[in-house]
Amino acid sequence: MKRLVLFVVLSLFAAPVFADEAQLVKENSIQSRIDHVGVNLLNHNRLTKRIIFTYDKKEKKKALATDKALTKRQVIIYDGLYQHVQTDDELAAMLAREIATAMKSYDGTFGGWIDSAQVALGSKKFETVSDKRAVDYLVNAGYNPLAVIVFINKTCPQKRHDKFSRHNLTSKRLARVYEYITYKYPQYLENNEYINNEYYQNFLLTSVENRKKLAEKIRTKSTKDVKYE
Amino acid sequence: MNRIFAFVLSLAILLTPTMGLAQSVPEVMPIAESVEVTESEVKTLPYNFESVYRVPIKLSITEKITTKGQTLTEGQTIQFRVVKDTYCKRKTFLKKDTIVNAKIETVISAGMNGFPAEIIVGDFEIPGARPTQLVDTYVKKGQNRCYVVYPIKWALTIIPFVGSLTNLIMGGNAKIKPSDEVVIYYYPDWK
Repeated sequence: MKRLVLFVVLSLFAAPVFADEAQLVKENSIQSRIDHVGVNLLNHNRLTKRIIFTYDKKEKKKALATDKALTKRQVIIYDGLYQHVQTDDELAAMLAREIATAMKSYDGTFGGWIDSAQVALGSKKFETVSDKRAVDYLVNAGYNPLAVIVFINKTCPQKRHDKFSRHNLTSKRLARVYEYITYKYPQYLENNEYINNEYYQNFLLTSVENRKKLAEKIRTKSTKDVKYE
Repeated sequence: MNRIFAFVLSLAILLTPTMGLAQSVPEVMPIAESVEVTESEVKTLPYNFESVYRVPIKLSITEKITTKGQTLTEGQTIQFRVVKDTYCKRKTFLKKDTIVNAKIETVISAGMNGFPAEIIVGDFEIPGARPTQLVDTYVKKGQNRCYVVYPIKWALTIIPFVGSLTNLIMGGNAKIKPSDEVVIYYYPDWK
């Protein structure tokens, strides 16, 4: 009886150790997956600058924290965002946006300091640039660029307006990415693997007006920027 | 003695975070399954960047392009001309004046606060070279006026609202002229 009690006590004391190990295994597997997809993107795009990827258990970035993609060329993936990722395409979409930002920090004078400051201050403009570059990176690495649309549609909320904001309206970002894919990579829309994806269908549903504007631009062969809503 | 065991047992039950164990263990398996990077996958990578031998290819654009007036579209094909004969391993690789197609990858328009416009060109179609053997992204920026804008802005902050007027200063437009030398690199030994 005493032995049995002793065994139970010991196994209960050992339980937290196993719990920690399970947590470590989980984090390690997430980090490995992020590294695998991230380095795949870097290599397939033949990006000759160093960028690393780090998984962070925190829900999201602190409000006043600096963007480490710009300061350290370190892409931080927060758990809150990672939880939205289902496929490797979507993970690649998330990483490719950050890679585009980190690559920008290598340009320009003072070791890229000035350009980094510009990206941070003019984040609205570079948000669109990052989205577009992400599409290119995905295509070059063999991922489906429509995942960028799906990922943004799932993760970015829709604000009321963006006149005085440092970020674009999500609907505008999605419309611009869709336009970019329409012009540069129409084959992905013709043989659309995402046509049965519910998140992509939700984007199609919520972007009818913007897509009508794009159709008009294509019909008139205009090169002017479309004013999306 | 039994009381001591009973005490230790109850203490262990109270202190052990068994709930945490119950939550964390089942999450492990599905994620671990999706990450497998097998040895065979590593062996058959579609790239190998071991070689450092590279051939610079000097090009110039055939017609001037600019971000002014929104005439450029992303994905548009533009043409470059090879500036001089290019040799690879003592053999002629590209003759002078060979026309090379490329694509405008991204156009960034000029912005407030002196942000310059930018043209990113890529996808160069070099005869005899695979796309995977090229490091071929060429970026041309307009005049970066933030070097002027920020000092003026900060100097004027002592007068309320006046510093904000510098927001209206736009950055320069980007243009690629035939006189600009565009250099891309060809790595013949890369896969």
